[in-house]
Amino acid sequence: MATHAELTESLKAFMDSYNKNERLKIMNRDWNRTVVVKATDVESLHTLIVVDGVASLREGTSDQPDLTVISDSETLADMFYGDITPTEPYNNGTLRIMGSEDDIVRLDFISLMIWGE
Amino acid sequence: MKRVVSVSLGSSKRDHKVMTELLGEKFEIARVGTDGDFNRALELLQELDGKVDAIGLGGIDVYLFVKQKRYAIKDGLKLMNAVKITPVVDGSGLKNTLEREVVRILAEETGLLKKGSKVLMVSSVDRFGMAEAMAEMGCDMTFGDLIFTAGIPYPIRTVVELEEIANRTLPEFTQMPFHMLYPTGKKQDTQDDARIEKFASYYHDAEVIAGDFHLIRRFMPTGLKGQSILTNTTTAADVDFLRAKGAGTLVTTTPEYEGRSFGTNVMEAALLAVLGKPWEEITPQEYLDLLHRLNFKPRILNLKQ
Repeated sequence: MATHAELTESLKAFMDSYNKNERLKIMNRDWNRTVVVKATDVESLHTLIVVDGVASLREGTSDQPDLTVISDSETLADMFYGDITPTEPYNNGTLRIMGSEDDIVRLDFISLMIWGE
Repeated sequence: MKRVVSVSLGSSKRDHKVMTELLGEKFEIARVGTDGDFNRALELLQELDGKVDAIGLGGIDVYLFVKQKRYAIKDGLKLMNAVKITPVVDGSGLKNTLEREVVRILAEETGLLKKGSKVLMVSSVDRFGMAEAMAEMGCDMTFGDLIFTAGIPYPIRTVVELEEIANRTLPEFTQMPFHMLYPTGKKQDTQDDARIEKFASYYHDAEVIAGDFHLIRRFMPTGLKGQSILTNTTTAADVDFLRAKGAGTLVTTTPEYEGRSFGTNVMEAALLAVLGKPWEEITPQEYLDLLHRLNFKPRILNLKQ
């Protein structure tokens, strides 16, 4: 189990890697989205916001997220640190993502562009 | 007589059956669509297994080749593994050979492709051979994989970048449900109006639009100015569709039978039946030699007549 602080650190690592990637920012310049990340086994909520290609992070939830990412804290931390890809936990049901299929594919794509081989 | 059947996740509206002769042998070649019904495709494959000479898998790829790397699509493999006796192919083996050859023919024997031609490939990881061949001959390439498959407004301009992004993403994307990445079933009969509006300029700016026909069709805007379309599977209705959009020339990489061209998977299955060898043992050169013996040529249709 990961703590709230560890989850925050993993999301910061994800956001920093994203914001350092100029190509990724260009790719997502029209993808303005609010993504809520929720752990199921610890009290932990974060909101990742992408506006004009730039990502920011804050603690807590958002009223109208475009995407909600839900899983146990360990899976979330592993995923945002790039130790695992989202596909396997998504396919086996450990990870739930609520939102449009296009947005789910986009989030997966961003993760792969940051952490992929 | 040999029987070859293509089982496709695509629309049943495109079903077709023809009788033909290949190197003196009679062939019945049929295509059966399951309207995106994955389980129906599985059942059909199991029913046909052992009863026909070769099976093609349509509306889905099993293997994507990026240079020497091969990625297997999870859903495609499930279908392929349902067939235990009859040889089964997805067309990827032939594509890599045939489509490079078609690019060579178009460059050497027609004026449709030349150095500097502006080419939009709506998707290229499913036909890397074609993408590479056109880039090698000096075409001005736009690879639209991210644009049209994922809605990401980022044109890839070089094979090197295409390869880099493919190698980062395909190991995972191939594990996703196929319908998230490619229009299956009824989606093949409709257009994506939002993406057409957003990305029409890529079509309008190109001289040649190449790639999978379902993707080309799904995102094609009106008001084309005589562009050439280089693709594989088209029906008579597709020809009318392209004409109405303003396309100038249609080139299909597979030959025409009774007004339509079959998918590469069907043709590869037919070649497999001709060769009578396991798929794994067939080399690209054997496909190429057979294509020459069969005098396979791309079909070139002037849409303005």
